[in-house]
Amino acid sequence: MKRVAGVVVLAVVAALVWATAPAVSQPKVVRIGDLGSKVGVFEGYGKYQTMGIQMAVEELNARGGVLGHRVEIISEDDETKPAPAVRKAEKLILQDEVKLLVGVVSSGATMAVMDVTKKHKTIHWNSVSCAEFMRTTKFHKYYFSNQPDSRMQANGLAKYIVDQMGKRVYIFYTDYAMGQSDGRQFKTALERLGGEVVGVAGAPLDTKDFSPWFGAINAATPEVLFLAFAGTDSLRLMTQLHSFGMTRKYKLAGIDCFLLQQDLPSIAEPMEGFVQLNHFSAYNPDTNMQAFNARFKKKFGVDANIAAGAYDAVHFWAAAVEKAKSFDPDRVALAHEGMCLDNTHIGRQCIRKEDHQVVMDMHLYQVKGGKNLPIARIAGTDSIGEPMVGKDPVEGFSWELKKKN
Amino acid sequence: MSRVVTWRALVAFGALAALPALPLTSKYYLLLAFDALLFGAIAMSLDLLIGYTGLVSFGHAAFYGLGAYATAILLERGVLSVWACLAGAFVVVSLYAAIVSYFATARRGIYFALLTLVFAEVVYTFFRYTQTFGGSDGIQGLPDAVLWRGVPIDTPERKYYLVLVYLAVAYAVCRVVVTSHFGRVLVAIRENEDRARFLGYSVQRYKMAACMISALLTGLAGAIYPIRSAFATPDLMLWTESGEFIISVMIGGLGTLVGPILGGVFFTLLRDKVSSVVDWYFIVIGVVLVLIVLFMPKGLLGLRRLVGSRPWRQAA
Repeated sequence: MKRVAGVVVLAVVAALVWATAPAVSQPKVVRIGDLGSKVGVFEGYGKYQTMGIQMAVEELNARGGVLGHRVEIISEDDETKPAPAVRKAEKLILQDEVKLLVGVVSSGATMAVMDVTKKHKTIHWNSVSCAEFMRTTKFHKYYFSNQPDSRMQANGLAKYIVDQMGKRVYIFYTDYAMGQSDGRQFKTALERLGGEVVGVAGAPLDTKDFSPWFGAINAATPEVLFLAFAGTDSLRLMTQLHSFGMTRKYKLAGIDCFLLQQDLPSIAEPMEGFVQLNHFSAYNPDTNMQAFNARFKKKFGVDANIAAGAYDAVHFWAAAVEKAKSFDPDRVALAHEGMCLDNTHIGRQCIRKEDHQVVMDMHLYQVKGGKNLPIARIAGTDSIGEPMVGKDPVEGFSWELKKKN
Repeated sequence: MSRVVTWRALVAFGALAALPALPLTSKYYLLLAFDALLFGAIAMSLDLLIGYTGLVSFGHAAFYGLGAYATAILLERGVLSVWACLAGAFVVVSLYAAIVSYFATARRGIYFALLTLVFAEVVYTFFRYTQTFGGSDGIQGLPDAVLWRGVPIDTPERKYYLVLVYLAVAYAVCRVVVTSHFGRVLVAIRENEDRARFLGYSVQRYKMAACMISALLTGLAGAIYPIRSAFATPDLMLWTESGEFIISVMIGGLGTLVGPILGGVFFTLLRDKVSSVVDWYFIVIGVVLVLIVLFMPKGLLGLRRLVGSRPWRQAA
């Protein structure tokens, strides 16, 4: 029996001690964390986020690093769920001692990670998630974003929908933080501009069969179908809408991360005519985008997409560290505020002091032949809206439909 | 020493209590140790059913998740006491477990497993679709719980000791159960349910009681989780979570209590380490499980045969 006790105690302690073996630290190295979906419904966004970070770090190290420190990336998979995302964020911050955390992809997971970065005072950049809570109720001083959130997208796109596509809109969204946020903001913006929301419905994340919702959509007789989905959900949804003849029946619009450019050629026919507001396209003739895309394509052999905004996030952080002359998170956070960079992937961008949101000029794009082509430019100052730090974006909102005669 | 409090247990828990004092133990590793011990405690609770009673539950994630939501809802509403959270979880999980165990124990074998799975899926779907509880995002941004006035559970050390105390209490409860007459009847049911019935035992009542004890211990473990993570999401109730609990029991060794604790710790550490190296970590875990089932059917605790100890499975 004593031997058994010995084996048990030794096994548990050995396992825990093995796990507690410290990472070997190298002098003059600063680590940054890349936390994103490497598998699952949002896999593509996480992988392109990693590419953007790698490209920025390579450039920084080629010119001597940050404050004389070589930059190292530690990548982790958030599994598109809050629990693994929090575990990995804690690992990156408390074990790997990263000075910057970029991520994550799913808005629900990003909000959970924001509690971790707030608690452990770590600079946190988000380049993919877009729920409005992140620059309102969940906002904290170490958090920055260069992803246009739901409100920015709604402010920029709703007017085009009402003026050019049709006033009767059905909102179909993925039923978690991101989709709900997009649904709310678009409903608010559309109704403010004189549009009529004729129906709303939410489908769970990672839904395999969307057809149960199609009857309600058809019964509402919309002119425009506004879709707030992303990743493989979008692929399945468009395929199914197309097979039911609904992509030809309605005009289609959606959020910026609905599908990555890389997915479009394979689903070109269902996506034909789809309109969205976006900050980047490899098919935009803008010289900054073309220059960035050429470098990206040379390095990785593929076009860049919106997830490559992580590239700018790293450069903003590096510039803030250089400005602060320190890695101290309080000083670096302060140095970020109001900072502008000229050489981002879309040209000059500035961080708004009040809510740490990058003021991004964007374009309305329409899919033609599997390519996202620009049709109009929206100034960042026109879409960003008032700072709402601490205010509840849901307050006063109702999903109730306001019928028009 | 008694049959419940043994020198071995005291030494083991003493060693674990000393862990935060080790110079190599960082804050992150204390949180990882929290996860590992919590997982081990749940696997041990499940072992009461699988290992001792012969009932395979695919629905333990629901008990775990309900406990977590009970705590999350209370913390969100400003009820910060750990004791209130545990009491809340106790009540909620008891009610649910009574219903599940009543119906599920009326059947045996695969039917029991399927009934537990179906009940759990209902609970999972309810929380995933109900916006009052945050829908699929769950309840996030929870404040720190307090042990009593002025003592918040706000550091990795305090969280670690909380789970360690829980593990000790849960282990003591499980030891009392398996070393009692009640435990011996459970083993009899596992070995030959019909014979136990012919001997005059109310088999369903015994199975219900085992199910309730296992569910409550799992639910209380769930109640502790948001105190460490500051959130509760429907993913905690997903059937894959139940699968991971079963895997931990199998890795550790069925019907041993200590084995599943080891299995839970092993599983958690393996997942943490492997997932930082490869994206498809669950393939690696799957391979490990296959190897264990094929070559170490008695689990990690079966290794003690190599050091010449007594047979791996204690009848009671």
